[in-house]
Amino acid sequence: MTLPAPTQPGPTIGVRTLPPGTWLRVYLRLFAVQGAWNYETMLGNGIAFSMEPALRLLPGGREGLRYREALGRHARYFNAHPYLAGVAVGALARAELDGVPPTMIERFRTALGGPLGSVGDRLVWASWLPLCSLVALATFGFGGHPVAVVTIFLGLYNIGHLVLRAWGLQVGFERGLRVADALAHPVLRRGPQYLGSAAALLAGIAIPLAAHRVIGEGRALAGEIILMAIVGAMLLARFGEHMEGWRLSLAFLTLFVLFSVIR
Amino acid sequence: MNIIDLLPVALLGALLGMDVVTFPQAMISRPIVAATAAGAFIGNAPAGLVMGAVLELLALEMLPFGASKYPEWGSASVVAGALFAAQSADSPGALAACLLASLVTAMLSGWSMVRLRRLNASRAAREREELARGSASAVVGTQLFGLTADFVRGGLVTLIAMIVFSPLIRAIAGSWSTNPAYSRGAVVVIVAAVSAGAVWRIFHGVAHARLFFLAGLTAGAAILVAG
Amino acid sequence: MPVTLYRIDDRLIHGQVVVGWGQPLGIGLIVLVDDNVAASDWEQDLYRMGVPPEMELRFADVASAVRDHASYSADRRASIVVTGDIATMYRLVEGTGAINQVNVGGIHHRAGRAQKMRYLFLTPDEETQLRRLMSTGVKVSAQDVPAARPVPIEDVLGPAPAETTG
Repeated sequence: MTLPAPTQPGPTIGVRTLPPGTWLRVYLRLFAVQGAWNYETMLGNGIAFSMEPALRLLPGGREGLRYREALGRHARYFNAHPYLAGVAVGALARAELDGVPPTMIERFRTALGGPLGSVGDRLVWASWLPLCSLVALATFGFGGHPVAVVTIFLGLYNIGHLVLRAWGLQVGFERGLRVADALAHPVLRRGPQYLGSAAALLAGIAIPLAAHRVIGEGRALAGEIILMAIVGAMLLARFGEHMEGWRLSLAFLTLFVLFSVIR
Repeated sequence: MNIIDLLPVALLGALLGMDVVTFPQAMISRPIVAATAAGAFIGNAPAGLVMGAVLELLALEMLPFGASKYPEWGSASVVAGALFAAQSADSPGALAACLLASLVTAMLSGWSMVRLRRLNASRAAREREELARGSASAVVGTQLFGLTADFVRGGLVTLIAMIVFSPLIRAIAGSWSTNPAYSRGAVVVIVAAVSAGAVWRIFHGVAHARLFFLAGLTAGAAILVAG
Repeated sequence: MPVTLYRIDDRLIHGQVVVGWGQPLGIGLIVLVDDNVAASDWEQDLYRMGVPPEMELRFADVASAVRDHASYSADRRASIVVTGDIATMYRLVEGTGAINQVNVGGIHHRAGRAQKMRYLFLTPDEETQLRRLMSTGVKVSAQDVPAARPVPIEDVLGPAPAETTG
């Protein structure tokens, strides 16, 4: 199947960018795109919810048949990374406004979700969030004041967060069905590698420093603590694929608390 | 603390619990923020921060990948921060006990999230015809229902956890027999091991990441020795 | 090395596959087997964007996947073979005769499908297809991410209805 010609005018209103008011409405709604997340349609309802202000631009407006058809289509099952859902909302809104045939929109929609999920998971959940979290832990480890730790973490993280969401909506609407090119952006392709290297380096500094600040009276046992933490980490790294650390922590802590109380 | 005193904390737990998935995902729900904020509510932000850092080390492992099941840290960190900030600073068992309370809360809260996702699914199923017809009020209504339900969920989880764990933590701290050094040490060993293990695995695919990590550890050790 | 995972997932390439399984198992090659996608350039462009630069993504229709299957197993990298539906995986199993284990990672809601698990929705016809796949001796289990416990599909579907046994 081939794409319709890029400049295809279609039975459309022919906008190349969303009017500022509409853009802002869609952008703000995207923050709640996972509001009705469920196992049946996942993000689907949120996609329709976020796209709705843009669909009002369709011929016939809110009372029109095309508005209702489009809204019904986009409330169905969809999944993607929440921060990159704007790429889908933008590209699909553009396709609707360009009058792309529904069968084409369906196929595009199906192919778009997975890659957006994968790109977002790698860039945000597996790189940017751990990096920012480690920056916060390092700030704490160096003796940072509560206000400083929280401000640095939220400021740093959300610069990336807000920019990514805005970029996604913008580029999605600009490129429409051709949005795959935009996902080749070096930040998305290579970013996770560099952020990952930085985070790994920082982890080495942040974890011991943060642990050191928490340790307090335990300082007398520094040698034993370091040794046991290394052994524990190696075991988790080796067998951790099928064993979540928080479950183990829960088990150990329960035993430790019972031991300390009952003894 | 009576229930009226707990309401501000429950409100905070409701808002930060929402942030994990539904709105606005600005990571104000991360433990190092949520526990610190809860500590500040009780009037002891530094204690909240220590609790937050401990939980943040654990949470490095738990990345909120969309559809999979995971513990919910937002409300749980509020509970931990508030409980720990209310304990006296020289109580040796407080950190371990509050961490345990927080893990149990995170697990139950994760379970409540699964229930909420089912509730949303049944609501979407009920509205299916309206949604398919492209009714804007059905779309917006479904979204607002989910957001409201998540707010209520986080608030209830926080409130119930506070009611159950406040007296329990006091009782545990009161009959604690392990000495302070071992008590802190055990907590630090657990969270440091989990976080280092998590980092080792998360960056598995990144070229030379393990070398970077070991280089970082060397630098970290040097800073500690010099400091 | 032999293919690490044969997966049925209607999302094909997404975070659970690339990050969830890809990172802990050190996956270097993903083969996406789907007749439609193998014939569509723009869909391939999209899926290619979902895979990190250090991983290779190949597209194949069932016929060429059966033909090239030996080369996937001979690859020195760990690999995943993913299909978007049960029928495609069944044809792959039949064609190669070399697949012993299949992972069901996600089949999601669509009109006519009933919910079996959190991430598994099936039409009656798809249920029959799954039973047919198991009747070839392949071990089929549902598992979305590596940390989750694999659930044998027998336990999900329950005992076979009388008319399909025997």
